Amino acid sequence: MNRFVSLALAALASLLLSHAATAAEELNLFAWSEYVPQSVLDDFTKETKIQVNYESYASNEEMLAKLTSGAASYDLIQPSEYIIEAMAKEKLLVPLDHAKLPNLKNIGKEYWGQPHDPKLTYSVPYMQGTVGIAVNTEKIKTPVTGYVDVFTAKNKGRIVVLDDSLEVVTWAMATQGHGPADVTKANIEMTRPVLLQWLPLVKVYDSDSPKTALLNGDVDVGVIWSGEAAILIQEQGKKFAYVLPKEGAHMFIDSLAIPKGAEHVDTAHKFINYILRPEVSKKISEEFPYTNPNVEARKLLSPEERANAASYPPGNPKLETFRDIGPLAADVDKLFTDVKAKSGS
Amino acid sequence: MTLVRRIFATWTGFVFVFFYLPIVILVLFSFNQSKLNIVWTGFTFEWYAALWHDTVLIRTLKNSLIVATATTAVSVVLGTAGAWLLHRYRYRASGTLETLVFLPMIVPEVILGVSLLILFVTIGLKLGYTTIVISHVTFCFPFVMAAVQARLAGLDPALEEAALDLGATPLQAFTKVLVPYLMPAIVSGALMSFTLSLDELIVTYFTASAGTRTLPLEIFGRVKKGLDPSLNAISTVFIGVTVLAVFLTEMLRRRNP
Amino acid sequence: MRQEATSFSAAVGGSQRSPGRAGWLLLAPLIFWAVAFVVAPAVIMLVYSFLSRGTLGGVVLDFTLDNYRGVVDPVYLQIVVRSLIYAGITTVLCLVAGYPVAYLIGRADPRWRNLLLMAVMVPFWTSFLIRTYAWVTILKSEGLLNSILLQLQLIAEPLPMLYTPGAVVLGLVYTFLPFMILPIYSSVEKLDGALVEAALDLGAGPLRAFSRVIVPLTSPGIAAGVLLVFVPSLGIYAINDILGGGRVDMIGNIIENQVKGNARNQPFGAALGTTLLVSFAIIYWFVNRRQRATFS
Repeated sequence: MNRFVSLALAALASLLLSHAATAAEELNLFAWSEYVPQSVLDDFTKETKIQVNYESYASNEEMLAKLTSGAASYDLIQPSEYIIEAMAKEKLLVPLDHAKLPNLKNIGKEYWGQPHDPKLTYSVPYMQGTVGIAVNTEKIKTPVTGYVDVFTAKNKGRIVVLDDSLEVVTWAMATQGHGPADVTKANIEMTRPVLLQWLPLVKVYDSDSPKTALLNGDVDVGVIWSGEAAILIQEQGKKFAYVLPKEGAHMFIDSLAIPKGAEHVDTAHKFINYILRPEVSKKISEEFPYTNPNVEARKLLSPEERANAASYPPGNPKLETFRDIGPLAADVDKLFTDVKAKSGS
Repeated sequence: MTLVRRIFATWTGFVFVFFYLPIVILVLFSFNQSKLNIVWTGFTFEWYAALWHDTVLIRTLKNSLIVATATTAVSVVLGTAGAWLLHRYRYRASGTLETLVFLPMIVPEVILGVSLLILFVTIGLKLGYTTIVISHVTFCFPFVMAAVQARLAGLDPALEEAALDLGATPLQAFTKVLVPYLMPAIVSGALMSFTLSLDELIVTYFTASAGTRTLPLEIFGRVKKGLDPSLNAISTVFIGVTVLAVFLTEMLRRRNP
Repeated sequence: MRQEATSFSAAVGGSQRSPGRAGWLLLAPLIFWAVAFVVAPAVIMLVYSFLSRGTLGGVVLDFTLDNYRGVVDPVYLQIVVRSLIYAGITTVLCLVAGYPVAYLIGRADPRWRNLLLMAVMVPFWTSFLIRTYAWVTILKSEGLLNSILLQLQLIAEPLPMLYTPGAVVLGLVYTFLPFMILPIYSSVEKLDGALVEAALDLGAGPLRAFSRVIVPLTSPGIAAGVLLVFVPSLGIYAINDILGGGRVDMIGNIIENQVKGNARNQPFGAALGTTLLVSFAIIYWFVNRRQRATFS
């Protein structure tokens, strides 16, 4: 009888142990498609023996769709700031255990107190960036300081913009004196005439790789992600300049967060802490030259990287993060679709 | 008559140039030194060397091959059985059934993907190999079925009767007479199935999971960052392998008519 | 004995039996598949189309007809019309360009037939994304075509070929041409050689021979090709995105936008999807009936 019990216990124990072992072996990372270098993942696996399954998405909404469908379980996601706000409201994020994240102290002071997650309860900043104007200075000699300088008749058919309704409408709102915190049905509709003037001048809409059109010479100016512009400057030097529009620019903070229903919460914390190491963060910056929120990592960057105006914009530009606008996202999209259809072919 | 033939032949020549121009470009650029794949800067084999070490790409390639093989196997069974049953028996529902079977072939992949994802979520089936194979089979097996149906239409019923008369059991008649007759159609359907599954992107996007990434999904993710020549390299390898396979099968076919 | 045509290919012979229990049992897997993976997802999508969008883009159980009101909204109808036009042009071009190729291969020496078919298929064993991006390399301002034209001094400045509606049509035709060639080839191959020779020999001239005899005889293949090109090209979103510079939005883009894009409105995507699905089903059933009528 005793032997039977001890055998059963041993079996149970080995079962639990093996389950625990397999449970720690994997990490399901769901992140932007151009944001986590493979070498960083490989080094993590080498160090911890944990296999990282990296699935990517090209937009926050894509991530939400997959996540809310409940079909797959992810341990880490990489939402932008306004999505974190929305998800936290819906209780879709697991609060982080800061005790497990000693490297959190490396994050700059300016990233605490942001409206979407003031105490970094749910998210840890991964990369920060801006959306601004990239200019081919060899083709455009006149100074470009704001959206109004981009969308002129002179630049007709030579402009690339992000294929993002929220971005474009927010820019239009900025030229009318409204910021991302003032999104209302009325303000959205007010941008219609602005968009009707702007969109016929656009040649390419591209959120994935807008630098391509600029490099190809198909366009001369664009409103694009700062990381893309930084690569342009890295590749072609003085030819390209990056300007933050004076009417107001979007500052986005992409962060790591743990969605509700994650299977490997501890491993997720381990990964976040690993990313927060200055040497690891520096590696990420080298491949994706956005603004690194990790001040210790910034110290490790080369002088050229620190001097890149797209990665680390000088001066005191007018920057604002996006807020969660809930159902108004549908109105924004409808307006954009409508004007785009009337302006295209 | 020959004039018509000549005009058609010239036209076909143009069409083939049209087909192969991008292929030639992409093969050429797989040897391009510049990472950004936009201008030609020099000749190199480095992207092919990089493929060897690219564990992620190789893993997704393996996944794609597993999925394509499973899809083709299931599609061949379902498609052939379906075609033969509909040919043999007079079902009242055959018209409706056919419409249902052939619908996924023509429905845009976005809709197929979305509706299948919703289905899997509703019944609680976790995304992975099973779901990908199911979704692929759903639009691949109609091709097998259509090919076999076309071939069956030309079947002389006396053939089967003769086999049965000569003492074969129905099963033997099926396997020794019917299946060999249907083989060309089955092979062409299987080829179509394999090809479609291997290159499938959109439906797979909705029904795959992080651990079962296929090659097109991986390419899609990388292409967003900028077209890396190693993607050209893997495509070139693909083409090379398939052209080789085609040549070999042709050689074999000519040896054993 | 009553004969029933089974599909585009006519059923030949009278050995069609009434299915006994064995017949139905063997058919069960097929029925299960059709019900589980075609009917069920369609029904679920139908249900979703009557629900409301959740705050994060999922669905909540609030019955509404708003999604269908959205389907007929002029904003989206203009895109439906545009998609129909592009799909139509693509189909016509594929038919015109593909028929001669299919005919040639179908009537070619059997020794070459297989090789020619493979030659048609081989480009499609590469990722369609990479093929499409290869066209970007060819068509862009500093691309292959422009470089050649400039070298030959045929033009003074680069032609804007990329990011135009023309580029989108090119990409669509490139992608769907094999889907037109293969079914037509299949029909051509089954043509009775003597019939074709007769048509062309009897002094009517190739044009009349083709239009009166050959093309009608290959109509099953043409019908199949048209369906296989027109319908899927209505739902594409990647090709026009890449080659059209994101300016040429089609129905596929709208649906994608609702599910994966900024709009976060899955029920609306479901409504659009259901509408398209029902339309396709009707078109397919109609074409199928006409084919069966012609051949029974």
